[in-house]
Amino acid sequence: MQISVKERLESIINNLDQLPSIPEVVGKVINMVNDPNVDFRMVAQEISRDQAITTNLLKLCNSAYFSKGKEITTLDRAIVTLGIKEVKDAVMVVATKAVLNRAILGYDLARGMLWEHDLAVAVMSKNIAMMKKDRAIADLVFTGGIIHDVGKTVLALFVQSAFKEILAKVESSGVSFQQAEREVMGYDHQEVGERILAKWKFPQVLKDIVRYHHEPDNAPEEQRKIVSYVHVANSVCLMAGVGIGSDGLYHELSEKAIKRIGITDEELNQLYSDIPDVLRQVKGLS
Amino acid sequence: MDTLINVGVARIEVATNPAILRTILGSCVGVCVYDRMKKIGGLAHILLPNWVKDGVKEKYADTAIPMLINQLLKMGCSREFMSAKIAGGASMFRFQANLALGQIGERNVEAVRKALAAKNIPIVVEDVGGSVGRVLDFHLEDGRMKVKAAGQEKMYYKV
Repeated sequence: MQISVKERLESIINNLDQLPSIPEVVGKVINMVNDPNVDFRMVAQEISRDQAITTNLLKLCNSAYFSKGKEITTLDRAIVTLGIKEVKDAVMVVATKAVLNRAILGYDLARGMLWEHDLAVAVMSKNIAMMKKDRAIADLVFTGGIIHDVGKTVLALFVQSAFKEILAKVESSGVSFQQAEREVMGYDHQEVGERILAKWKFPQVLKDIVRYHHEPDNAPEEQRKIVSYVHVANSVCLMAGVGIGSDGLYHELSEKAIKRIGITDEELNQLYSDIPDVLRQVKGLS
Repeated sequence: MDTLINVGVARIEVATNPAILRTILGSCVGVCVYDRMKKIGGLAHILLPNWVKDGVKEKYADTAIPMLINQLLKMGCSREFMSAKIAGGASMFRFQANLALGQIGERNVEAVRKALAAKNIPIVVEDVGGSVGRVLDFHLEDGRMKVKAAGQEKMYYKV
């Protein structure tokens, strides 16, 4: 008998070697920056251990999106000029590109589409947090935005073979696509993403963003607001077609999440209308 | 291979055969207008229904569609040989009924129909609504429109 999709998926997500990897330095930097008593020099020292990351990071710090005008040529300068949180966000962009900037077959995303989507969600989540004067978590929702769909990179092959069944489930039971993923394959792309982040040793708040970005109202209460920023940004980007794939708009846009972060109807329309500006900001990230 | 031209959000592109104009749609509407005699066509990616003060005109159905038609006329097309095919206008699968943004797909489709009617351009094909994402390829060789949605491809030849 053929091994079921569920069993195959189960064996992959329980085997750390089969999940995507990113440079070890990233998990360390993220956890260091998450600590309010972080020592900047230690962070710079940690990053500098990875030469490839350092080179690309300095380049990105001088991009239109991150640059403050003056050319940055050293890590110390980057941290002083941009701040430790911005530098951490830039490290994230540099370190996750190899995992996310590729074709995602089962979801019908051509190469670059998921990456553009992830960056757009990151930029927009941060824009909303700034607009709502929630500056302290602006960097967190940016980081969460980048990796919110990382589970799709692993789940895609399974979605490809189970697609018809998933879509039939959506249409017959009226559940969202990601819920149908879970029912048909045992796991949805949020749960697979959470496993990947556990492998990367990322902090709980980022795991929660990934795990609940389609269902923010089910997130643990203390993280619900942060998750809601990414949920709203993700929904608006998908509606504008940015990174929309075979799962389409078979998702839920939670009104509770919109209310939770204090967005009015008018502001929500404006976010959608401003998508071309977000895409310009994304271009400034390369 | 025909040249592939990607049309971004709230953009308008016009080209002559041979070329393929491609855009990706959620709640937005892709408007393909084709002159079957000249084999020239244009694609507008419409984000919103109606122009608001200070808005970029390419974003809105009521301002982008006249721009698209004018660009085609400037390239020597005639209105009598033009027809339109439209796709997109999807909605989020689940949202609270009082959420204005939830209706944006349907409102976009309505506004596109109205703006094309105002210019006397007939719509020969509509592939709109639902909750699917769509990849639209507009082939200027013969004006056919290919729509890939939910893993399936449909081809529309009518011009």
